[in-house]
Amino acid sequence: MAFISSGYNPDKPMENRITDIGPRNYEEFYPPIIKKNKGKWLYHEILEPGVLVHVAESGDEVYTVRVGGARLMSVSLIQEICEIADKHCDGYVRWTTRNNIEFMVDSKDKVEPLKKDLSGRKFDAGSFKFPIGGTGAGVTNIVHTQGWLHCHTPATDASGPVKATMDVLFDDFQNMRLPAQLRVSLACCLNMCGAVHCSDIAILGYHRKPPMLDHEYLDKMCEIPLAVAACPTAAIRPTKVELPDGKKVNSVAVKNERCMFCGNCYTMCPAMPLADKEGDGIVIMVGGKVSNRISEPKFSKVAVAFLPNEAPRWPQTTSVIKKITEAYANGARKYERLGDWAERISWERFFEVCELEFTHHLIDDFRDPAYYTWRHSTQFKF
Amino acid sequence: MKLKHETPMLDELESGPWPSFVSDIKDEAAKRAKNEKNVEYQIPTDVCDDLLGILELSFKHGRTHWKHGGIVGVFGYGGGVIGRYCDQPQNFPGVAHFHTMRVSQPGGKYYNTDFLKQLCDLWDLRGSGVTNMHGSTGDIILLGTTTPQLEEIFYELTHNMNQDLGGSGSNLRTPADCLGQSRCEYACYDTQHLCYTLTQEYQDELHRPAFPYKFKFKFDGCPNGCVASIARSDMSFIGTWRDDIRIDQEAVQAYIGGEIAPNGGAHAGRDWGPFDIQKEVIDLCPTECMWMDGKELKIDNKECVRCMHCIDAMPRALRIGQDTGLSILVGAKAPILDGAQMGTMLVPFIKAEEPYDEIKEVIESIWDWWMEEGKNRERLGELMKRQGLQRMLEMTNQKPDPRMVKEPRHNPYIFWKEEEVEGGFERDVNEFRKHHQR
Amino acid sequence: MEYEEARQRIFDTLTKKQKSKSKFYFSDLAKILEIKPRDAKKLINKMVEDGTLEYWSSGSTSMYGLKGTGKQAHTEHED
Repeated sequence: MAFISSGYNPDKPMENRITDIGPRNYEEFYPPIIKKNKGKWLYHEILEPGVLVHVAESGDEVYTVRVGGARLMSVSLIQEICEIADKHCDGYVRWTTRNNIEFMVDSKDKVEPLKKDLSGRKFDAGSFKFPIGGTGAGVTNIVHTQGWLHCHTPATDASGPVKATMDVLFDDFQNMRLPAQLRVSLACCLNMCGAVHCSDIAILGYHRKPPMLDHEYLDKMCEIPLAVAACPTAAIRPTKVELPDGKKVNSVAVKNERCMFCGNCYTMCPAMPLADKEGDGIVIMVGGKVSNRISEPKFSKVAVAFLPNEAPRWPQTTSVIKKITEAYANGARKYERLGDWAERISWERFFEVCELEFTHHLIDDFRDPAYYTWRHSTQFKF
Repeated sequence: MKLKHETPMLDELESGPWPSFVSDIKDEAAKRAKNEKNVEYQIPTDVCDDLLGILELSFKHGRTHWKHGGIVGVFGYGGGVIGRYCDQPQNFPGVAHFHTMRVSQPGGKYYNTDFLKQLCDLWDLRGSGVTNMHGSTGDIILLGTTTPQLEEIFYELTHNMNQDLGGSGSNLRTPADCLGQSRCEYACYDTQHLCYTLTQEYQDELHRPAFPYKFKFKFDGCPNGCVASIARSDMSFIGTWRDDIRIDQEAVQAYIGGEIAPNGGAHAGRDWGPFDIQKEVIDLCPTECMWMDGKELKIDNKECVRCMHCIDAMPRALRIGQDTGLSILVGAKAPILDGAQMGTMLVPFIKAEEPYDEIKEVIESIWDWWMEEGKNRERLGELMKRQGLQRMLEMTNQKPDPRMVKEPRHNPYIFWKEEEVEGGFERDVNEFRKHHQR
Repeated sequence: MEYEEARQRIFDTLTKKQKSKSKFYFSDLAKILEIKPRDAKKLINKMVEDGTLEYWSSGSTSMYGLKGTGKQAHTEHED
């Protein structure tokens, strides 16, 4: 391949350099009907799962068809999205915060052809390219992180468990039978670059083994003070180690009982890997929400302390999620979010109806906030 | 077409209804191998093959095969690029160097296809052709290119597409908004406008790291919180109003009569029985400030906490008020390290009006404080915990208000300052002893 | 503080510390200069532009170092 220059001159990086221009202005990308009615919308309605109408004061109506997508997406697939948007939507399209894609049209008669086009497109192996759904009292797309596809500290994959989970929850993506919306999120390690800690169901990758120490190479590959400083629990200290050949080298020692398995040391020092097939797996957290609706926003709580990584389809993880979803669907009242339901019936009942074991791992023992999660009353259910 | 590596485990993720990322990347790999358009690929043609190959290996090993690298950006920028190397470069040379670029997304994530096509062509030529639409923070993520391409891509983005990179590291991260007034009747302010204005205003903070750690702005148009600002942004701007909910009594009757489905039809998948306004709206109001007076729905607006439930449930009958603005909450973050923190109310109400000077004042006073006193890798929420909410109020010139707390303190251990106590701390012990024997 | 003086001070201090570490937080640099972070930022940005300093990032946190130093510099610069 021949190198193609963009015009950039590596000898003079500052020549004609353009910086600090930010993103494109959103105004350039509004479909005309959106631009015209911005700030003047009256109400909306979900006509069927995945199809919305928004009605403006002017009487204008915009119809939206929402489809799910893997957030991991090739340029060819984006080009296909463009082709659909050009054909049906005058060349406009948008994404939602939860990785859904929204195609908008300005009259009702354009909805059916658009829907037909979208739902007819499949990958050769059979999965939908653009499944319609993700609205109302159902499951919408999973927000997630990179996992084994791109991250250096994941304790699980992201795209794989997401695909497996959405296959299991697919009916609820295309239906609205749940008591309220159910937001599922995945973060592939406890650093949570995808903040999943306020989700109805959170799938969280977790390491359970402290880093290994590559003593022979550690001082050659890493700056020891940086590795020491990287540890949030001060579990790492510098030390001298004698190698099997009798040679003394600078290295580090880890107080294993203080390690919270975050991998921050590995980020600074590649000679401290912690990933492990048996050690790594998934934590299931439940009952969080970010909306202020009825009850205040709340954090997710740990419902299952550990499930193994079972590539490629994580059957135990998806079956626990399915069980929780069904128990919620059966037990909660209309409008009640998963966390509100669990609090109303009590957590002791939650574990019972979800058929989940309550183990000592589920009692908080991490710093100050732990105390506030213990029971300080005589009110409990038999 | 036969791909370079066997991927029996990944192949199992091609079945089932949900869009298969494996099928998508396989198609991309085949497209690059065929190269019908004769693209002069600037990074290895088999990058997608090798990406699948190394992912298959991770599925087999149950461990990642990526290493971190410290490459951070294009010249003069301290963010926007994440360095990535694979730990099996001999077997997977196509992804030996596989850096990420974060591209600042437009407000509301609206696009026209011209822009997207241009971006696709650029990434096809100079990158892996694999993206995230979008990353957790909101950016367009371009996954996988080599070091020499970074400047070339940046040059093309800025010169041909009028488009900049996003933030990473100890920077202001790319701010993100909900779609707001562009298509939502609940939005209490123009999230896109405020997000864009502040993003442009603080470009230097976004590209050149000088903070103790990451800092996030997110903009939610109403308390429903669709971008989750209250859970994950150091400064969360949530729309609200301080006058009355607008009621259309006729539409209320239409809901009661079953002519309009509640909650915009969100519950259509199950027969929940006829709509019962008492049970479904009035009884669920957290402050019990609603009632029926004959055929009229009444709201004691003074008692309303704007939870949105009644409006969400009957969007054609109830609308947000007209004296709108926003609340600023501060210090939200994910659990690492001291536990998760939800945003704390700092400014209960502020008008969201151009040029947003009052809002900028709050932002900059917070940065001044955090840059001076924040420890390395301490999020704003943790500094608040360490130094107290009082200190935050002091630094941002906010008057204490019961709206900032759930309840008053649980202990009387107030650290009185000398100037707050009559007569000060200095006293004459001999004077005291005149009345009190030793 | 004059730019040249600041640059020299950063260069000298970081060179002295090379033996133990090569990467520093922004606040470390501001402390070396003994000025407020906001003012230090302007000077430090300039040191990046003229090639005295370079950025390093863990993705979540950013650090600064003298250009081309550090044990991982070799692999990271792919030379």
